[in-house]
Amino acid sequence: MRLSWPQLLIVIALLIVILVELRTVLAFFEIHLSVTATAVLAVVVIGALVLWTVLSSADRSE
Amino acid sequence: MSNTFVDAYPKQARIIRQAFLTSFIALAIGAFFGLIQALHRTNILRAIESPTYYTVLTGHGVFLVITFTIFFLVGVYQWAVTESLERGPVDMRFTWGWYGLMLTGTMLAAFAILAGFTDAIDVSADVLFTFYAPLQGHPIFYIGLVVFVVGTWLAGADWFRTWLAWKGENPGKRIPLPTFMVLTTMIMWYISSIGVAVAILAFILPWSIGIVESINPTLTRTLFWYFGHPVVYFWLLPAYLMWYILLPKLSGGRLFSDPLARVVFILFILLSTPVGIHHQYLDPGIAEGFKYIAMTNTMFLLLPSLLTAFTVVASMEHGARQRGGKGYFGWLKALPWREPAFTGMALAGMVFAFGGFTGIVNAGMNINYLVHNSLWVPGHIHTQVGTAVALTFMAGSYWLIPQLTGNRLVGRGIALFQVVLWFVGIVIMTNAMYRGGLIGMPRRTAEPEYEGFNYEVAAGSVGELNAQVALGGTLLFVSTMIFLALMILTLFNGESEPIDNRTIPAPLSGPEDSPPVLDNLKLWVAIAAVLVVLAYVIPLASIVSRGGLFGPDIGPFPVFVEPVSLLIETVLVSIGW
Ligand code: HEM
Ligand SMILES: [Cu+2]
Repeated sequence: MRLSWPQLLIVIALLIVILVELRTVLAFFEIHLSVTATAVLAVVVIGALVLWTVLSSADRSE
Repeated sequence: MSNTFVDAYPKQARIIRQAFLTSFIALAIGAFFGLIQALHRTNILRAIESPTYYTVLTGHGVFLVITFTIFFLVGVYQWAVTESLERGPVDMRFTWGWYGLMLTGTMLAAFAILAGFTDAIDVSADVLFTFYAPLQGHPIFYIGLVVFVVGTWLAGADWFRTWLAWKGENPGKRIPLPTFMVLTTMIMWYISSIGVAVAILAFILPWSIGIVESINPTLTRTLFWYFGHPVVYFWLLPAYLMWYILLPKLSGGRLFSDPLARVVFILFILLSTPVGIHHQYLDPGIAEGFKYIAMTNTMFLLLPSLLTAFTVVASMEHGARQRGGKGYFGWLKALPWREPAFTGMALAGMVFAFGGFTGIVNAGMNINYLVHNSLWVPGHIHTQVGTAVALTFMAGSYWLIPQLTGNRLVGRGIALFQVVLWFVGIVIMTNAMYRGGLIGMPRRTAEPEYEGFNYEVAAGSVGELNAQVALGGTLLFVSTMIFLALMILTLFNGESEPIDNRTIPAPLSGPEDSPPVLDNLKLWVAIAAVLVVLAYVIPLASIVSRGGLFGPDIGPFPVFVEPVSLLIETVLVSIGW
């Protein structure tokens, strides 16, 4: 594991928060992300993060 | 062998536990009311009739920002004084006395508010926590508030007395930092709560009983806000105390600088009060010039908060490097993130920094017009007192309650989840509140959108903003319930011992590095008094001379105010105000 479980939890929380706020910021620049698009983006980003964290642990145990 | 606070000071631990218990009961009720509001005003679930909304909202405001926060404050401060002076109060009966007064006051006010839910009792106080005239509550509500505030005054007196006794035994020693923080907070509280005491005792209470018939709303509002801004520091300073005293320890290090911390608390004595008019930018009857002075003072108040951000983050970095952290940012990874007490406080601090920027928007005289009385303001409230303070208190409890009970915290992992859930919930809810405010959605209403009217939403839709408020509010409610459940379980977790002990490591730079004048409390009180006089005497005099002490219907009384206000009026006219 590249991150411990608590660290992973916190990074996920930070990502959710950044996505929520980023969506507002982008709207000021006339870039409108729909709720669905944001949700999909969140799932992809968080999924990637979790994979990155967990898979690297397999590397190390080998 | 454990070395906890309750081992060393069992009697004091008992009263602190009691204060926390009262505080948490208020939190439970307040959070429940918050959930009702979040679902009601977004039209998602209407469990109550809309008129009842204001009873709920009054309860939410009073129970959370008066009862929850201030009972927690007296608990933490009693802990801080006892721990840092290494002694209990001079007379524990007095200590129980002020706690009893605070509790009595709370019960009276709570009764007046909650009675609003039923028609069976002819009592109600749907006046919201600001109780602006001409809204009128039952006298019991105001009497309760006064009794509560007197209780807090006596609590302060108790801590001063303990300190004086300590000083007698330790001549020439510097005031220990935690006690210094307690005493300076209480000085600020004495200076400012006079305002609300006068507003209630001299005007609102007699008017609600019927002794006088009319009231000058501008005057009582101004007196309220004379107290209303400092009260936000009364919520915040116990959180600051925990950031300065507990966070460095939890990070594995020491406080970076004791003198800087003292300077910060002194700045709060000086600057907290002469700023209250910044809540009245839109009030007619107060000249622009006074508002401008209030704005300038407010901007200076950023200073102590920036100093705090610097000192606390520096202490955390020091701690992380002690734990083996390396690199420009790499040290962040070495912080004890698995510790809910640490993580909760760190996240609370982050939200506080963000909310501070929204506070600058509120404080700007011109830009305030954009957000005034809109949903933006509850957005700001929930990032600041609703998170910077509330989340710090909850996180701090994960460390303090084991110290006060001698029991190990139950469910450390769940506790970590709880603080993170709060963080996510608050951002989801307040993001929508801020955005709603910017398109003009009003606060304090069960019906934010009139029929046949549509907001021009800049991003997304009203439905989406509502969904976000409801979702965020629900997450917050769930988070609160998890917190309370863990507290109850810990209380009954008798067969265990806390992991940590009670020692607080000494700061890197101690009090000996600062000039002794910092501890000269009388000097700071004197300067603060001058600033208050400068900021308030003329505005108050002009409000009284225009509207009369008891409002337009009853002539100015007592008469001795007449000549004074006349004089001031003449001066004002001659200098062209
Ligand atoms: C448990 C989760 C919470 C939820 C769901 C919640 C929800 C809300 C909502 C929706 C409002 C706006 C009502 C309106 O303007 O119509 C509000 C107002 C407010 N909330 Fe909360 N809140 C929560 C927790 C807190 C906490 C912890 C605090 C402070 C410690 C707090 C303090 C306030 C205050 C002071 C107001 C303004 C009251 C007024 O305008 O009179 N809330 N809350
Ligand atoms: Cu203010």
